[in-house]
Amino acid sequence: MTHRDWVRLDNASNIFLAARSASDPKVFRSSAEVDHAVDPQLLQEALDETYDRYRLYHAVLQSGLFWYYLQDSDLRPLVTEDKQHICAPIYQAGRRTLLFRVVYHRRRIVLEVFHALSDGTGASWFLSDLVNAYIRRRYPDQSPPLAEATGANALRAEPGRSDAGSQADDGASDDTAEPEHGLPTDSFEHYFHHRRTSPASGSTFSRAAVPAALTIDDSAQPSSAHRATRRLHRPLKKVHQVGGTRTPDNRTRAVELTMSAAAVLDLARAEGVSITMYLTALFFESIRLSSGGLGKNRTLAASVPVNLRQFFPSTSARNFFATVRVEHTYGEGDDGLGSICKHLEGQFLPQATKEALEKKLRWFIRAERMPGLRIIPRPLKDVFLGLINRGSNRSLSVAVSNLGRMSLPEPAESHVGRMLFQVSAVRPQFCATSHAGLLTISFTSPFTETGHVKEFARMLTANEIDVTVAAERVTEAELAEGES
Amino acid sequence: MRRCTECAVDIEGTWTLCPLCGAPVAGETVPSPMPTVPLTFSRRRVLKVLFLTSIAVIAASLAGQLLLGRGPEGFGVLRSSWLGVTAMWLVVLMAIRKRRNVAKGTVYLVVLIGLVCVYWDYLTGWRAWSLTYAVPIVCASSIVALLITLWAMHLEVAEHILYSGLTVLLGLAPIGFLAFGWVTNPLAPAICGALSVIALVVLQLARGAEVRRELVRRLHL
Repeated sequence: MTHRDWVRLDNASNIFLAARSASDPKVFRSSAEVDHAVDPQLLQEALDETYDRYRLYHAVLQSGLFWYYLQDSDLRPLVTEDKQHICAPIYQAGRRTLLFRVVYHRRRIVLEVFHALSDGTGASWFLSDLVNAYIRRRYPDQSPPLAEATGANALRAEPGRSDAGSQADDGASDDTAEPEHGLPTDSFEHYFHHRRTSPASGSTFSRAAVPAALTIDDSAQPSSAHRATRRLHRPLKKVHQVGGTRTPDNRTRAVELTMSAAAVLDLARAEGVSITMYLTALFFESIRLSSGGLGKNRTLAASVPVNLRQFFPSTSARNFFATVRVEHTYGEGDDGLGSICKHLEGQFLPQATKEALEKKLRWFIRAERMPGLRIIPRPLKDVFLGLINRGSNRSLSVAVSNLGRMSLPEPAESHVGRMLFQVSAVRPQFCATSHAGLLTISFTSPFTETGHVKEFARMLTANEIDVTVAAERVTEAELAEGES
Repeated sequence: MRRCTECAVDIEGTWTLCPLCGAPVAGETVPSPMPTVPLTFSRRRVLKVLFLTSIAVIAASLAGQLLLGRGPEGFGVLRSSWLGVTAMWLVVLMAIRKRRNVAKGTVYLVVLIGLVCVYWDYLTGWRAWSLTYAVPIVCASSIVALLITLWAMHLEVAEHILYSGLTVLLGLAPIGFLAFGWVTNPLAPAICGALSVIALVVLQLARGAEVRRELVRRLHL
C-alpha cells in the first residue's frame, strides 16, 4: 500500500471551489496553434513525458472536514479530440479525477486546467513543455541534442520560462534530487507565513526566475475577503453590472480576436500607458457603447490579476497571483480614451507594487488563519466564501488579464503561431497573450451577446489594425448553421 | 477568409453572418479553429431536481405516517406497504448517490436503515424489535460485507479506511443498547458488538498507521 503525499490547498484555490457555478466552472484553457494538423499519437507521448515531470498535475482533489487538499494519484492523462465546449467543467465533487485535460483540434494543442490546481503562469509552463516535447517528436531532425532526461524522478518541473525564452531544462539539471511523490509547495505560505504546512513538500525555492507574464484572471480572488470588509469602511460606488441572455447550456461564449501585437503596442505607446491598461480602457469603452450609455450606474470596474512570481520568485506551479481593481466613472470629467487609460494606469501602478501586494496578502493570510474561521466545517466555509465572492462580484463589471508575450524554447518556437488563453467567466472578460508577433484577445462571457466584442473590434479596425475573428458557436441558430 | 465589411474584420470558420454584428459576410471559408459542439443538456440538473423532489416526497410520507396514529391496530397492509416502498426508495436513492465510494455508501445505508427501522418500530407501538434485531443485524452484516469487499476488491485502503472505521464504530452502538437495557433479547447486539471489537482490532493492527494518517489528512486545520 503506497502512502500518498498530500498538500493543503493554497488560499487562492479555496475560493475557486466555493465560487464554482454551472456557467463558471472555474476552468481555464491555454492553447498553442502549430503549423500542421496535430498528431494525437505523438501528443500522447509528449504528454506522458511532461506529466512525469510535473508532479503537481498528478493531484486529485479531496475534501477534508475543514479544508480541501490535493493528493497524489497514479492516474494517467489521455489525449482526446476536442469534443466539449470551451472550459467545460473538470472537477466534480466527490470524483477522483485529474484536474486538467489535454485535447487537440486540427492545429491546436489545448490544455484545460481547473483553477484550484494552478494559475495561468503555472499552466503556461506545462503547455510550453508539452508543446516542445511534441515538436521534438514531430521534427526530430530539427531538435537540438538532448541530455539524458531523468524523467519521472524530476519531480519539480523546470519550465521553459516565458520571459527569457530559455531552453526548457529536461530534468537533466544538477538539481538536488527530490523525493518521489513530492507535491509542490504553497508559495503563499512560503512568503507570507514562514511556515510550511505540507508534510510532503519536497520542492525548494531555489530558482529565482521570474516569468514576465501577468497571470490569470478571475473574479474569485484572494483579496475578495479583504475588499468585502474594507467596504464597510469605504463605501464603494454602485458599479455597472453587465447583464445578458445566458447561453442555452451554460457554455462559455468565446470569441477570439487576432491581430498584430506591434500595432497594438504602438497604440498603447502613443497614449503613454501599458498595453494592459490600454486594452482595459478599450474594454470599458466597448461596454459603454454596447450598453447604450451605461444607464444609471456610470462606474465601470475591472479586476486585473497580477502574477506574484514577478515580486516573490517562486517555481511553484500552483496559484500565486493577486488581483488589483481599477475603475472609471463616466461623466465626471474627461471621458476620452487617452484620459481613461491614464486614469486607470494611475490606479493600477501603486497597487501593483511589491509592498502593496504584500500588505494585501498578509492581511488575507491572517484572515485565513483566524482560529474561529479554521474550525468552521468545510461545507459551511464553502457557503461563506461563496457569499463573500458574490459580494465582491457586485463591485466588478469586467475582468481583464494579460499574460504578456509568450516565448517557447526551440524547436517549438518556430513551429507555433498563435497562442491563446481563455477563462470560464462569470462576467464578460478577456485574456490577452502574444506569441510570434500575434496578439490574441480572447473574450469569454456567460452571456450570448457579443456587442462589446463588436465595439472593441471596430475601435481597433478604426485604428487601421487588421483583426481576425474566430468564435465558438453557442446559440441554437449558430449551431444549426454550423452543421449545415 | 470571410470578411464582414461592417466591422472590417476577417472571420475564421463557415459563418454566413458575422458573429459580432450579425451582418451577412462574404468571401472564401476557411476551417474554424474551434469544433462545433452540439448543445449538451445537463442531465445533472434533471437528476438533482428528481433527487430533491424524491427526498421531499419521502420526508412528507414519513411525517404523514405520524398523523395516522400509532399502535399495531391502526397498522394495516396498506400502511406497511407504503412505509416499505418509501424506505426502499430512500435506500435505493442513497445507494445510487453514494455509489462511487463503497464504504461511504455503507455508512449512509446503515444509518438510514437503522433510523427507518426505529421509526417503524415507534409507529407500531414500540416493541423494541428494531434495536433488538434489525439494527444489530444490519450493522453486523455491513461490517462483514465491508471487510470482504475491501479484501476482495483490493480497493485503495486510504479512500475507504475512514468510512470503514465509521461503520465499525456504528457496530458498537448495540453494546450501548444492551447496557441501557433497551433490548428484549441480548443475542444479536452481543454478536454485533463482538464483531465490531474484532474488526476494530483487525483495523488497528493491520492499518493503524494508515487510519491515523488519513485522520490527520481529513481533519487538518
